[in-house]
Amino acid sequence: MNAAVTKKQIELSLADRFGHIFEGYERLPAETISTGISTIDNALHGFPRGAITEIHGQSSSGRTSLMLSVLAAATSREETCALVDCNDTFDLSSAANAGVDFNRLLWVRCGHRLERAFKAVDLILHGGGFGSVTVNLCDVAPKIVRRVISTWWFRFRRAIENTPTALIVLTPVNAVRSCAVLALEVKNEASVWPSTLSLVSENSYSGFTVETEQRSHLSLIKSSVRTDSPQTHSHFLRAMNIRVNRERPVHWQPAEIKFQATSCSGL
Amino acid sequence: MFACIYGRNLSKSNQSAPVGSETKASPLVDLAFTFSPLVEETTADTVVFDVSGQDLLFGSPGPVSETNEIESARNIASEIYRRGKELCLEINVAIAADADVAIHTARSFAGITVVGSGEELSKLGSLPIKAIDFSLVAIEAKRAEEIQETLALWGTGTFGELAELPLAGVAERLGQEGVRLQKLAQGKTDRRLNLVRPPIGFEQSLELEHHITELEPLSFILSRLLNQLCANLNEYALATNELRLRFVTEGCSEYRLQSGVSVASKDPTKVGTLNTSPHERTITLPVPMRNPKTLLRLLLFEIEREPPPAPIMSVAITAEPVKPRGAQSGLFVPMAPEPEKLEVTLARLAKLVGAENVGSPEILDTHRPDAFRMKRFRLDQKTRRNMSKGSRIALNADETHQFTAIGFRMFRPAWRAEVQTKHGKPIRIDARSSQVSASVRGQIVCAAGPWRASGEWWRSDVWARDEWDVAVINPASQKDEVLCRIYRDLTSEQWFMAGIYD
Repeated sequence: MNAAVTKKQIELSLADRFGHIFEGYERLPAETISTGISTIDNALHGFPRGAITEIHGQSSSGRTSLMLSVLAAATSREETCALVDCNDTFDLSSAANAGVDFNRLLWVRCGHRLERAFKAVDLILHGGGFGSVTVNLCDVAPKIVRRVISTWWFRFRRAIENTPTALIVLTPVNAVRSCAVLALEVKNEASVWPSTLSLVSENSYSGFTVETEQRSHLSLIKSSVRTDSPQTHSHFLRAMNIRVNRERPVHWQPAEIKFQATSCSGL
Repeated sequence: MFACIYGRNLSKSNQSAPVGSETKASPLVDLAFTFSPLVEETTADTVVFDVSGQDLLFGSPGPVSETNEIESARNIASEIYRRGKELCLEINVAIAADADVAIHTARSFAGITVVGSGEELSKLGSLPIKAIDFSLVAIEAKRAEEIQETLALWGTGTFGELAELPLAGVAERLGQEGVRLQKLAQGKTDRRLNLVRPPIGFEQSLELEHHITELEPLSFILSRLLNQLCANLNEYALATNELRLRFVTEGCSEYRLQSGVSVASKDPTKVGTLNTSPHERTITLPVPMRNPKTLLRLLLFEIEREPPPAPIMSVAITAEPVKPRGAQSGLFVPMAPEPEKLEVTLARLAKLVGAENVGSPEILDTHRPDAFRMKRFRLDQKTRRNMSKGSRIALNADETHQFTAIGFRMFRPAWRAEVQTKHGKPIRIDARSSQVSASVRGQIVCAAGPWRASGEWWRSDVWARDEWDVAVINPASQKDEVLCRIYRDLTSEQWFMAGIYD
């Protein structure tokens, strides 16, 4: 990150003498896909097609929420999407809640095998025709993700160049490096719990928000129940306030975007 | 020169079957096809076909003369009669220069009859008018009765009497129909046969001199067969959506590899027996195709997945013909992979990660957590989304920000956890994955629950659990929390971590 900022400073200092000759390298592609989140779409104009977008963050940071939103938006436009799930952690209930159309989603379960995941991505990208291809490496250990040789990323970048496919990579740490046109770091700022059901322990912690409105247990359950799919979980966690930091392309003032992910649409 | 076969014992049994119906082919037609491809099935019991050139096979040697022609025709008729006898058919066979003369002769004279050129009238002259087939000159049954009554009033009772009537008088009184009828009686019609199209069989097979044990030489054989098969399909403007591959392996057992996902009836007890199909599968394609390269790849992937048990002695491929798909799609049809490429990609993915791990998920109609099944990934451009209002994402940018669902990552299998409780509430957790080296451990700073759920008590795998949503703080890094869903299995009284909110 520091190197990138230093590079930007050098470029700006040279801009007075040579003009903005370095801007072309970091310009986002013209074609983008909507993420389904208006704040991100307004700030980033969506995710670029024909390029790699990396979303990284720690556990419970909001990467999957962002991924589901992108998938839901893409399938709602009747685009064909692929999800390469390295550790087989794709949850169908939350995806259906987000609005993902499973008929337009190719789900590849790689059985905790990282090499299989990369080979599967390679096959899908060379097959072509997908609107977005998502690689879920969230549960792979950071040290293993960092060890992935760069040739894979260069190969992927080359495969989707000049194609309308957006490759989205979810990782625990920044691993795609310079091959990613857009790199986002997500972080969960605060979690919202229902006041009537949350049992906060003696440990005080500023990261949690307890709703002040008094709702009865029954009213909460009623609002949580969906009519189109069987209820399998309580949905106690009400919302997550997620902050997105744009790391790449580098600008003088990194953009911060915030959005909220909620447990169900009725809340 | 035309030959006609009249089946004496077929007239009653095959009356109900219309000519040209798609039911089982007539034995007379099959018999005729053994002599000539130009076959007309006149009625259910009458078949006429062109035997020109057959004298090279069955004719008598010597210079071309009228006597030799008659002799050749007689030899051909004898051969037809003999083969008919072998098929247990009671038939009359007639050969004449005119197809209609051959038909009338075969229907009227038993056994073998050969009508030489110029002998038509002498042969047919004695036949009664009732024997004439009006349909041969396109006269309807009602009009035929009227003409028959008229001829009876004239005192015309035989073919010969009708043939000798003055042409102008017949034309004046009976019109063009009468003229055509008179030519029919004279044996001077000149019409083309209404040919029966031979049954289209899209099957290619090859007997191998040397047994094949490896995939590479087999791929060349398959490529050759598929090229011919696809050329045949292309000739008829058809494609295929189902391929069947059949091997005869060493040991004289027929091994049918019908690959795909549609059917799998495996009976190991029948392996090695004659005329059995131990593996019944079919390559079912989502869209009609006729690209030999794509089909070859799909076949090779399937053979690699399930190789034949013994060296291959012969190969046969059968394609189910269907109409090809429309190549042109709309301007505003959303982007999608090409069907042929997609099939190859799916086959490669299935080979890489297993067929059960590739496809579209489908949530099962049950309350059991994480109940789903994988179905085959298909692309249907005509299928529109059928999503409920609650799950629908609006395309309007103003509506997109209204709802973003919390993501959840489901651990399969669930992580086993050790949970400390206080007054029934979880206060500390240590969960580890059995698949990967990952763990969640620390103090629980926020917990909501329990949510008791159970179901399917009538099954052996009954499930019952108390679910909690918890926030775990790692003591090493006090800043970051992990939001988890944990549950206590009420049947085993053990704690598990179902997944992480993300």
